Amino acid sequence: MTTGSVWEWIIKSVVIVFGLLTGFAYLTLLERKVLAKIQVRIGPNRAGPMGLFQPLADAIKLIFKEEIIPSRADKIIFVLAPIITVIPALIILGVLPFGGIITLFGRQISLSLADLNVGVLYITAIASISIYGIVLAGWSSNNKYAMLGGIRSSAQMISYELALGLSFIGPILLSGSMSLHDIVAAQKPLWFVVYQPVGALIFWIATLAEVNRAPFDMPEAEQELTAGYHTEYSGMKFALFFMAEYIKMIAVSAIAATLFFGGYRFVLEDQYPILGPVWLLGKVIVLLFGMIWVRATLPRIRYDRLMAFGWKFLFPLALANVFFTAIGIVLEKLWLIPLLTIAVFLGAVVMVGISETRRWRSHVF
Amino acid sequence: MTQQLTTITETLVERFPGAVLKDERPGYEGYLVSAENLPEIAQFLRDQMGYDYLSSVTGVDYLPEGKMETVYHFFRSTGGSALELKVSLPRENPVVPSLVSIFPGAELQERETYDLLGIIFDGHPDLRRILLWDGFDGHPLRKDWQEPYYEEEAKPFKSRWPEGRAIRVEEKNIFKKNVKYPAGFDPETFTPEGDTSLFASLDKLKRHDEESGMKSDHIIINFGPQHTSTHGVFRMAAAVEGETIIGLKPAMGYLHRNHEKIAERNTYLMNMPYTDRLDYLSPLSNNFGYAIAVEKLMGIQPAERAEYLRVIMAEFTRISNHLFLIGSLLNDLGAYFTPMLYALEERELILDVFEAVTGSRMMCNYFRFGGVARDLPEGQLQKIKDLAFDRLPRKIDEMDRFLTESEIIRARGVGVGVLTPEEAIAYSTCGPVLRASGVPYDVRRADPYSIYERFDFDVAVRYHGDVYDRFLLRFDEIRQSIRIIQQAVRDMPEGPVQSGKPQYQAKVPAGEAYGRVEGPKGELGYYVVSNGKPNPWRYHVRAPSFINLTALEKLCVGNKVADVFAILGSIDIVLGETDR
Repeated sequence: MTTGSVWEWIIKSVVIVFGLLTGFAYLTLLERKVLAKIQVRIGPNRAGPMGLFQPLADAIKLIFKEEIIPSRADKIIFVLAPIITVIPALIILGVLPFGGIITLFGRQISLSLADLNVGVLYITAIASISIYGIVLAGWSSNNKYAMLGGIRSSAQMISYELALGLSFIGPILLSGSMSLHDIVAAQKPLWFVVYQPVGALIFWIATLAEVNRAPFDMPEAEQELTAGYHTEYSGMKFALFFMAEYIKMIAVSAIAATLFFGGYRFVLEDQYPILGPVWLLGKVIVLLFGMIWVRATLPRIRYDRLMAFGWKFLFPLALANVFFTAIGIVLEKLWLIPLLTIAVFLGAVVMVGISETRRWRSHVF
Repeated sequence: MTQQLTTITETLVERFPGAVLKDERPGYEGYLVSAENLPEIAQFLRDQMGYDYLSSVTGVDYLPEGKMETVYHFFRSTGGSALELKVSLPRENPVVPSLVSIFPGAELQERETYDLLGIIFDGHPDLRRILLWDGFDGHPLRKDWQEPYYEEEAKPFKSRWPEGRAIRVEEKNIFKKNVKYPAGFDPETFTPEGDTSLFASLDKLKRHDEESGMKSDHIIINFGPQHTSTHGVFRMAAAVEGETIIGLKPAMGYLHRNHEKIAERNTYLMNMPYTDRLDYLSPLSNNFGYAIAVEKLMGIQPAERAEYLRVIMAEFTRISNHLFLIGSLLNDLGAYFTPMLYALEERELILDVFEAVTGSRMMCNYFRFGGVARDLPEGQLQKIKDLAFDRLPRKIDEMDRFLTESEIIRARGVGVGVLTPEEAIAYSTCGPVLRASGVPYDVRRADPYSIYERFDFDVAVRYHGDVYDRFLLRFDEIRQSIRIIQQAVRDMPEGPVQSGKPQYQAKVPAGEAYGRVEGPKGELGYYVVSNGKPNPWRYHVRAPSFINLTALEKLCVGNKVADVFAILGSIDIVLGETDR
């Protein structure tokens, strides 16, 4: 290990963290703008041209806001909780390849921080940690709304982690590696979403639950629990929770792009490796737009139904997806995988639809 | 009608000899019954005579005669006019048996009457103050109760106009000197007991799991008064076990300003703009009910064109109210403002019409006794036609298409907060809540007022009684309202909009009247007693969103925390009306 490579790591880390923080700031603006357009409004347009300085104004406001710690709260954990939540969100992208290898100042620089051979495991492990922050925030606030929000989020986490984990297995099986670099390389001929349409869908739904986005934003459920686990937080501590949520949105979109949509690879990337991060960013923005669109469109699912949905629908479907992927690989007929999984998926949807409709209209006066 | 009433009189007098007397005072109707026979008579009315719907419970303080009266309005859920019972009570110790065991819908109304008039309802399960706070001194609707800065019995206050120059009330009532405390009361040391008694009513649900030997307990969560989904400063104390509601008590009065006392100080016409402030989302319906009650007392008929204008405006109010409800219910379900903003877009167009016609978007103050304030301005009829014949039907269909088949909305609404038809009638629920439970009771059909008999429309009714049906029923009602507006626009005659000449001081003969309309939220009733003076002696509002809350606990128990807000949203309350 030379001094040069240590400096390289430090610089890369700083770039990733600051990139994420800037991305978070402008993601809030993007969300507000997109929501406004969907809702026949204008959205933020006062601070700067087209509201471009709005995130700056928000940040300044949040920094100068009074921070209140409730007198009966558990102070240490209350302060610690937002930090526990935000750190995993910042480090989760450490194993993600942002591009190929570029030459800069006569040095070969790989556009990723680390090529971990168990990258996928690292992601699942780190992604689950931030839930502790949410549960502890809910518990330490000494507030009943926050408590309910924290409990909800832990229950939600358990229901979704399995389906999420199983949806990772498709790309792992197809590429034969747990390293994200290998997974991206294996998608050179064809994106995995073609082989894994159902897996990608499960991944996307489960990550919506994972990052507490609508329609699975149970832990904060504004209309029920006012603000859920962060009811008692203000100022920068609140901003940390907010930051964690949005950075996680970016992170899971980047992971989804890597696992299913070819990562940084796209046209002309072979000739000009510097295009890799640009393509990745483009894919991330498309996926983020999908998340915002869902938020603007769908009402919230009820907590117990969400659990039922996770355990009774997503989990078996994810299992079936893994099963049929394995069959396709063993038979060496990869085109079988999408056909079989989509058939299973449609069958499950129809069955759920039938049983639900029967239950719904069982009583008439 | 007279025939029917005569037979009722005969039956009642025959069945309860000596206990039922016809009210013979001029301008009054109904029956005077004795306090001890009241439950028996109410039971008889419900079971034998079909008067199963107790619409309104209130009281009147007749100070000069030295007595109080409780007033009950019964209706048949199959339609028809009111049967009115009155119980005369001494002012010193007014005790009357409670009707909650027979008509559960009386619960909140009896508490309100106790709170404001001090009439004690014997046998009421939970007789606490409801609108006022617990340390409040006295009962403000009693005629000998005077507010801290009492000036005169009735407006206009002569003391404010000594020499043709108005004196502002702030000059007369210096801040901090306009408060009157009861004897022995110190605001610094006072500890309110309201929460204690509120929680005591929930504490009886406490239980410990003895089988497993594990100690378990419920927690009490306060939703409100500051909460995003209570539609105002409304509060619910809920006992929850996990996320399941096992008990829930509404607590209200945070917006209370004693509308009725103020209205009794006002002259009749001064109350017209004041009714706008009740349910501020549907001001014109409020005007309508009050105008009908006072016109009944005055014995006048509104001008023909004014009747049509009234109907058009009232139905537009219903549409705008329901649009708002659809939006805010979806908000309560967690749809992030998108349906709300699309619904508000249509509502704004209706408010534009209100602004052009009445001069104000929300506080319309449009109705007058015997007509309306002014005719349609130039060009507004075309705007109304465009809305009623083109834009609204199109947009409502579009909204219906996007919302009603949504899986999540169905999953959140179907089978949640179910109210059976029997319960709906027993709890005196009204309006969409009642009709979604399969009771086709609409005042416009059941007891037609104004010119509603002339229109061809259907009473919207649904048969599951859950949140989803209450949601769909709003779409049905909007469609029917559009039909009514289309017919009214087509048939509207030319002519004056006021019968008689406009007057600032209505001459109202002595008597009583109960005017009710089908407001967007349900049966909106005004009980007005006149003694011939320029001010009403008693003015009572039967507020639909207040009385619909009686059923709230029944609807919520057994459901999840998230459902409470769906249910509350589907009941559709406005705190200006609930708290009055």
